[in-house]
Amino acid sequence: MELKEISKRLEEVYQKIKADINWEPVGPTPMPELPELRNWDMRLLKTYKPFYAPFCDMCCLCTYGKCDLTENRRGACGIDIATQQARLVLMACLIGCACHTGHAAHILDLLIEKHGPNKKIDLGEGVAVEAPHIRTVLGMKPETLGDLKVAIEYVYKELTHLLSAVHTGQEGSYLDYESKALHAGMLDHVGMEVAELAQITGFNYPTSVAETPLVGLGWNAFDKTKPIILFVGHNPATSTAVVDYLRENGLYDKVEFGGICCTALETSRYSDRAKVVGPLSRQLFFVRSGIADVIMTDEQCIRTDMPQEAAKVGSALIATLEKVMYGLEDATSMDTDEIVRKMVDEKKQFAILDPKKAAEVAVKVALEIAPKRRKEWITEEEAKQFAQKCGLCGLCEQVCPNLFEIGKGISEVAKGNFDVIRDIFNLCIGCGKCEEECPRNIPIFKIMQQAASKEVWTIRAGRGPIMDTEIRNVGAPITLGTIPGVIALVGCSNYPDHRDLAEIVEEFAKRKYIVVLSGCAAMVAGMWKDADGKTIYEKYPGTFDAGCVVNVGSCVANSHITGAAIKIANIFAALPLRANYEVMADYVLNRVGAVGVAWGAYSQKAAAIATGCNRLGIPVVVGPHASKYRRLYLSRKEEDDWKVMDARKKQIVDTGEPSPEHLIYVCETKEKLMVTLAKLCIRKNDTPQGRAIKLNHYISLYKKYMGGGLPEDLHLYVRRDPDIPLVYKKEVKAYLESIGWKPKEPVGLPTWIGTYPTKVPVEAVIH
Amino acid sequence: MSQLSPILPFHRVNTLTGVRTARMVEDPKDLVKQIKKAKRPLIVIGPLTTKITLGDRLLIEYAIDIAKAGSIPICATATTRAKLLEYGIKPDSVYDVVEIINALKDQEWKGVKGEGNHDLVLFLGIRSDLANQGLSTLKHFAPHLSTVTLCKFYHPHADYSLPNIFKDEKWKAILEGIIENLKTE
Repeated sequence: MELKEISKRLEEVYQKIKADINWEPVGPTPMPELPELRNWDMRLLKTYKPFYAPFCDMCCLCTYGKCDLTENRRGACGIDIATQQARLVLMACLIGCACHTGHAAHILDLLIEKHGPNKKIDLGEGVAVEAPHIRTVLGMKPETLGDLKVAIEYVYKELTHLLSAVHTGQEGSYLDYESKALHAGMLDHVGMEVAELAQITGFNYPTSVAETPLVGLGWNAFDKTKPIILFVGHNPATSTAVVDYLRENGLYDKVEFGGICCTALETSRYSDRAKVVGPLSRQLFFVRSGIADVIMTDEQCIRTDMPQEAAKVGSALIATLEKVMYGLEDATSMDTDEIVRKMVDEKKQFAILDPKKAAEVAVKVALEIAPKRRKEWITEEEAKQFAQKCGLCGLCEQVCPNLFEIGKGISEVAKGNFDVIRDIFNLCIGCGKCEEECPRNIPIFKIMQQAASKEVWTIRAGRGPIMDTEIRNVGAPITLGTIPGVIALVGCSNYPDHRDLAEIVEEFAKRKYIVVLSGCAAMVAGMWKDADGKTIYEKYPGTFDAGCVVNVGSCVANSHITGAAIKIANIFAALPLRANYEVMADYVLNRVGAVGVAWGAYSQKAAAIATGCNRLGIPVVVGPHASKYRRLYLSRKEEDDWKVMDARKKQIVDTGEPSPEHLIYVCETKEKLMVTLAKLCIRKNDTPQGRAIKLNHYISLYKKYMGGGLPEDLHLYVRRDPDIPLVYKKEVKAYLESIGWKPKEPVGLPTWIGTYPTKVPVEAVIH
Repeated sequence: MSQLSPILPFHRVNTLTGVRTARMVEDPKDLVKQIKKAKRPLIVIGPLTTKITLGDRLLIEYAIDIAKAGSIPICATATTRAKLLEYGIKPDSVYDVVEIINALKDQEWKGVKGEGNHDLVLFLGIRSDLANQGLSTLKHFAPHLSTVTLCKFYHPHADYSLPNIFKDEKWKAILEGIIENLKTE
């Protein structure tokens, strides 16, 4: 590009981000385009190499194919199997980013229409750095809802370029596809942040508060004697309108409302009367119970056969967003009473894209049909009768994605034993394939109603951003290592076992890690009570500090978790963040012991979120099934490049220390996950005291779950004697001596800046 | 040895599935022949071996017996190490399954004994979706080694796989046959 063109582009960018407002100097990468952070990506990919597990041997995307890519074959366009995998990963990240950004754009338009573009973004007195991602990536400090449009337009533009790169005959390098996926991941966090800022501002969600209200959680949380409206999806445009309608019409306590998946979490931030039925994995189970009188769908992670499922059980259905209209008649312009009549008398289903109208219709329909409907779980006797039809053919077991012995469970129910099916219910991810496959049409999900716990749990409503004051308090202990790490349990509910989540939270909250949750993970972790009848939200404080359990909110609230990592660099370490992505990511990678866990990841959104975490230097661990995402970023600890620059001495040091060891990683079991998480919190910046604390947890978890002894790679993480935890001193020293371990100097100020080609000077990381 | 051979359509460019499927093996002798031919075999033992009972023994006991009978080094994945130690077996290496696969696909890797990469890898006790993905990695990126699965369900991405086995007695007989033949041949 000619210098003149670059200047012109920069001029436009500076104008968009209001560079003349000098709240911080503009860094090197305002509104970065594809190549601008490529060198950072390549540095990441040098140590954390892509590992591909092809889900399919073919490329089926153009009419030259199908092309077989096995045994080093290339497709008709020249693509090889590795590059094809990277291309598919990029597609997944783009889909995920588009979902979050589409949600953000929709809700932003709605709220600008309601409040005007000049409505001030105000996250309360505890949050001055309101938009860490937008500030870091774009270089802009958004002050109003209207300012957020700049961020949306930037993401749209980049998304278009990225999407074009997956066309046939475009990118030919898997590494460059990965760089583009990392770019998409970064954009995803910007999109999510826009959604959050708009929603908190426009809906007056909780902010600058730690202890948000506890709300009812579980499929039994509804009062079934009242009309029930169920929201499914992620976008609160209509669910909040329902709450408004109920409040305005004196019906607030006469109608029950709540949701499944993230709209549930969003609505509970708007009204503490909202119930959170459960995660995505309970969607089909709950819908098939017929408990909901009216189902309102919005967007993302909704059953695509919802009209059929709702009709089967007599629930009324309204599709409320243009992205999901199911082929239904668009009744947005139809008279409200006429829609209600048709829904009640003719059982018609409609798309209604005006939230207020959809809300009014939903409430009126629910009030009319609820008294005529049966809304009870099936009885034990009914379940037994259904189960007795089972011929033990085993077909249900062959299609179960979570690999369980459903047939065995059903046959035990026939004998009156619900224990096996109860266990299976806890493992069930709710796809419904078993029931579809059954040649005798046994309603397996109905039988599970008897097995499902009738407990009502609690979840703390999503609290939104981490406050700047909290960041100031924990910044030092996190970067020194004396708070051993931040564990973020996020994402969907495709779990090996739903019970894992609460156990993971308990293990780390008790050990005084900071535990944060979002989305379906936040719900599932709450679906367990201890011996005193307390959920994790009742047991542990909601303040972002050692030993906390914090629910930030829905999927899009994940931006607050990654935002908190940026804020540690900016607020605690006083590093400027404005258009300064590399410095922020480098700080997080080398100094902030944070790890994401997407134990039940299933969606393309989860792929985008995780890849965005990775570009920012946050490692992520996923469950065993998530190998189906096709790509991990793995190091080979004894062989890869662990060199860093010591910024104070301006010397490159070969630390030999694989911290963090991987960027995105699959664990086979919950137990191994626990051990891995402790290790992935280790950072080169740890002080001896902090390292000893982290190693204490690593060793103790290893002993607990791996059969005793010491971790095989422990020697790589002990720099000098003071790093060794006191309680294991003798054992560790004997081991280190036996393998000829030699001490090494800790690095004063570890950074990757200066170890790869970048415009950023080493001085930029010194605070 | 029997080959599971799909019928390939004539116009391959449009319809070929592309999956190079595993050879289905039922006769323990055939499998043992492959193991014996290998210079540096490895057995990867996963956590399901600690959960599944076959006859009156845990699956891990069969894995141990195979390793002992064939003098095959062991890689324990996830938390399988703990159970092996209970049986008095110290695994030659402890990796998660994605880590061992990542190492195996590097032809220059020194192997769990430091003597060079392995040329045949047996897998037992890894959940089938994860195993399928890992075997796919090795199929595409590790042409220098052969993979064998001893689980009771067919794994198309392996080089050699047991068929789908619906009766545990049959599976038990195959595993015992492998142990016996490794001892005697």
